[in-house]
Order: sequence, then structure tokens, then C-alpha cells
Amino acid sequence: MADIAPSIGRPSAHRCQAEVEVTHGVGLHARPSVAFTRLAKTFPCTIEVAVDGSGEWLNGKSIVKIIGARIRRGTKIRIRAEGARAEEAIAALSGLVRRNFDEDRKAGRADGRPS
Amino acid sequence: MAAPRDFRGHPASPGRAVGPVHRAGEPPAPSGLAGNGSDARAALEAAVSRAVHELRELSARADPESAGILDFQIELLLDGELLAPALARIGAGEGAALAFAAALNDQIDEMAGGGGEGEATHGDPFVLRAVDLMDLQHRVLDALAGRTRADFPPGAVYVGRDMPPSVFLAHDWSSGGAIALGAGSTASHVALLARARGVPMVVGLGALPGETGEPLLVDGTRGMACLHPDARQAASPSAPDLAPLLSPVPACEPAAWEPLRAASAVPDRPFLFANLDTLADLDTLDPAVVDGVGLVRTEFLLTSAAEALSEERHLAVYRRVLDHLAGKPVTLRMLDLGGDKALPGLTEGDPAGVLGTRGVRFLLAHPDLARIQARGLIRAAAHGPVSVLLPMVTLPAELAAMALLFDEEAVRLARQGIEGRRPPLGIMVEVPAAALTLDLFGQAAFFSVGSNDLMQYLAAAARDNPAVAPLYAGAETAMFRLLDLICAAARALGRPVSLCGDLAAEPAAVGRLLALGLDGLSVAPRRLPALRAALGAAFPALPPGRA
Repeated sequence: MADIAPSIGRPSAHRCQAEVEVTHGVGLHARPSVAFTRLAKTFPCTIEVAVDGSGEWLNGKSIVKIIGARIRRGTKIRIRAEGARAEEAIAALSGLVRRNFDEDRKAGRADGRPS
Repeated sequence: MAAPRDFRGHPASPGRAVGPVHRAGEPPAPSGLAGNGSDARAALEAAVSRAVHELRELSARADPESAGILDFQIELLLDGELLAPALARIGAGEGAALAFAAALNDQIDEMAGGGGEGEATHGDPFVLRAVDLMDLQHRVLDALAGRTRADFPPGAVYVGRDMPPSVFLAHDWSSGGAIALGAGSTASHVALLARARGVPMVVGLGALPGETGEPLLVDGTRGMACLHPDARQAASPSAPDLAPLLSPVPACEPAAWEPLRAASAVPDRPFLFANLDTLADLDTLDPAVVDGVGLVRTEFLLTSAAEALSEERHLAVYRRVLDHLAGKPVTLRMLDLGGDKALPGLTEGDPAGVLGTRGVRFLLAHPDLARIQARGLIRAAAHGPVSVLLPMVTLPAELAAMALLFDEEAVRLARQGIEGRRPPLGIMVEVPAAALTLDLFGQAAFFSVGSNDLMQYLAAAARDNPAVAPLYAGAETAMFRLLDLICAAARALGRPVSLCGDLAAEPAAVGRLLALGLDGLSVAPRRLPALRAALGAAFPALPPGRA
């Protein structure tokens, strides 16, 4: 990536966290999980997800972990990122969750990527 | 033109056939499947990328709805978390197919709520994902199997030192052909398969006759092979198939049922069952002439590790058998691997292993494999009257362990909302220690005597070693005394007992077997007419259908 190494004193540039509620009809089942992990994998930073009050952080780029967490509608999840473009990643991912994974707009390709 | 040249061996399967020689490559190159360590790792990684490639092609052409499902599978395959447990198993020495199948089964369980959360219900979207995982598992296992088969031309004569059963089973014999082996044995499993399928076979030729393409006549009745036969030899009529084999009889096994007896018009007549080794055997079996299937040797039905590790494949082949039998009882024997029965990737053949980890011992040592088969059997039992037979049982504890495994899998399937029925479990009586303590096996629903293994263990004479063939044959007296004990113990327990295999098909033995009070006899479809004839003498109204 063309990113400059994160500079000291600006932690927000390489470390970021957000909380978002899952409002999608079912929750993070197959299709939303694909959308989430595919988007996550486009960022070079690490991305982790924790469910509600759980202290366990799951690899946000692993569909096995995300699906396995059985994240249902109404669940609050925390997303955190560390590394290059962390802030951008958190904005994109929490936006995706809030938009119900864009399912209404683009059936099949929730992340809007070619494939 | 070369002059005819005779080779003398031993008759292993009667009949005559001429065809071009196919020289088997010597030791088959070990496939990535069979290897462990880095071999297995590479094989699994290659299979995964192949599966991803296939899925991408499918996804590119699919409608958005289907593409979504395929994308999910692709995403799973690309997830290092999915492969990590499989790679760890490979690191611990497991073959690629078993490692992958077992690791995915853990994931499937987890997704299906196996963690005991108890919240999974019908229609649960997270349970649906478990079905996706099974689909994926099937695809990768198929990709792993993709490079195993080395077939030879239809109609050719297979010439080699020995022949792996999987090669026999993968071949299409409908165009004829024959088998001529330099070593081999008249009592090997391939010989058994050849007799059941009517493929002429000669063993023990010593030197291998001919090079690939040369015409070879195999006379499986006389135990001869002739290279470059002249026209007169080649044209001489086939010897009758019923020619009795003088050499030792091969493997034998069992059957199960229950409500049949009450419905039987002739209460004392033994049930007549067929043994099945392949789905092709179904074509030769008219269900109207039997009471059911007494033995399905599932290790021959599922001829690669990938197939044996695919629950869906198990279910599919069992359903084929059940559908053909149209409601008649079917006894499926669990994989009898180990000993001389290899399954590359799971176990390599070792003739010396007949006293080692084989049959139920192998299954209990590989519970992941056993669970896959148990699930296939439980699901099949929802579609027809299925009984399950455990091979090579020595102690009641082995039966108890397998019964527990079946109970657990039945519960797991129910929790996943998958249709199933826990089938009755019976045991093969082929280890003398079990035969002498049958009264301790009250947990068994039925018994099946595998007379040939029992005989070889009684006589301490390998059934596939020609040098001790007379001892093997001579153990018949001991065998009948033991059969008497077995039948008495089964009666005392109120459990049916049957006998299967070539001993049941020997007209001379049928009278003595009937006198023991056996409830059933089970033989290869080709042996049915002879057995029906022998039984017909004792029970004029005998077999069902056209007697």
C-alpha cells in the first residue's frame, strides 16, 4: 500500500474501534458474513470483532470465526482495527453493518465487488 | 506369429476369456493422498485450490442467489482458520483426506450447535450453513480423489503380480476381460470379487505372461493362461461356471432382519440373502428371489478415502441398494479396513495385518471415519429397513463403544434437523474369542458368522496362503463344532444368526448348515441359483418369487 508508516502521536491513524448494532434481518449468516470478511480483507490492518460484552476478539477476516460467533439481529458488536488504514477500515465496516450489508440494493454481491 | 505358450497357475475364478494383455505398472506411485507430512499438506492445498477454482467458475455463471452461496463456500476455503485444524492433524501424521474430513466435521458440529447451546432449531440460518460445509467437504474430498484412479482398457486381461481391489472395482468389466496374476491368491478379496462378478482369474503363475497388447487366453476353470492362443484354443467353449472350486473357499459373512420371520410362510426355512460388493452387483440381483441383502461390504462400495470420508456418498450408495431391494431388509457392514484391505490415504494394505488393527478395531481407532459412516447409515435407515453389522468384533466392549457412537450421532443428526433412524447393530462372528463367548454379547441385535475368517483364525492358517490350504480346509470339523456352539448361544439369547459367503454356497455344506438351525444364508448373487436348488430339496416351497 502507498501508506506512509503511521506516525507517533497519532494513534488514531493506526488504531481504531467502533461499536455497531446488527439490524440485518437474520444477523451475520452466510451472505452478510461474506460481505463483511471480504471487505475486511481489502485492508492491510488487522481487524477483530467482539460480540456484545464478550471479551473475546475474533479475527474479522475469518468467515469461520464470524459465522461461528452466531451474531444475530439486535446484537451489538465491537470492531477494532490496528495498522495501516485502520480508521478507514472501521468506517467502511461499521457502515456496511449499518446499511444491512447492502442486501436491499445488490442481491448476491453484498460487498459490491465483482466476485 | 508367436507360438502358443502355456502358463500354469491356480484357478481363482472360473470361466475363459481372451484379450490383449494389460501389464500393470509395478508398485503404483504413491499419490499425495497416501503420503503423510508435507506430501499430505501439498495434496490438501492443491485440492483446495482446485475446489476454489471450480467454485469460482460456477459462481461466475450463476444467478446472484446461487452465486451468494458459492461465494460463501469460496470464502470458507480461502479462510486459513478453516484449514488450520486439518493442517495440524496432518502434522500429527494423518493423511490429507482424513485430516480434512475430520477437521470439517468439527466445524459442522460447532455450527450445528454441537456446543450444547440447545438453541438450534429447524430453519435456523446457522444450521443451514452446516449443510454448506458438508457440500464443501464433499467437493474438496472429490478433488483429493481426482488423481487416484489408474484404469485400463475395457476387455483387456489384467496381468500383474497382484491386483488391488480398488483397481478391480474401478474397472468396467462389462466388455469382458480377465485377470492373470504372478502371485496372488485364490482366497484374496480380488478373487472373491472376480468370482462374484464372473471375471475369469488365474493366480500363482510365477512369471508374468506377455507384454501389453499381446493376446492372452485365461482359463480360470483349469488355472491356465496361454499367450498367443491358436484359433482352436481361443474358440473352445467356456467351461461351465458352476465348476466347483477345489482350492480353499474365500471370505464369508452375514445378514440381519427381524419382522420377516413372523411373516414367513415356512417358519423353519432359513432366509435366503444376497451379498453385495458393488453397485453393479445390483444389476444381477432380482430382489424377488431373495429375502433381502445379508451383507454389503461397504469397503468395496466406497473405493477411495475421499468417498469413505464423505457422508453424502455413504448415504447415496446405501440408498441405491435400499431402492433396488424395494422394502426388503438390507444389512450393511461397516468398513472392514486393515488386514489385506487397503484404502489409500487411510490405510495401506498389509496381509500380515489380519491379526492387527482391522475391522471394528480400525474404526474405533479412527472415530472420525466411524462417525461419518455412522451418520450415513443412520440417515439411510430412515429410508428403509437397515441393519448394521460390525466386522472383526472380539470383545463386548467394542460393540458397546460403537453403540454409544451411533447413539451420539443419532442425537446430533436430530439436533441438526436431519432425518435419521438409529439402526440395530449386530456383530460378525469371525474371531474365535467372540464365537466362544457369544452369551456375553446380549447387546447385539443379531449375529453373522464370517466362516472364512473364523476358519482361518481357528486353523491359524492364512486363507490366502496356498502352502497351508489343506490345513485351512481341514479345519472344517472344528468349524462345525464351533458353529453348533454359536447357534446354541444365539438361540439362548433369542437373537437370529446367519452365515454368509462361499461356505453357504457349497451344495455339500448346505445340509449340514441347515441342521445347525441357522436363520439365514447369504451368498453372492451368482451363487443364488445353486443355493436355491440345494435348499429347494429340503424346503420344496422355498425361496420367494419364482422358485
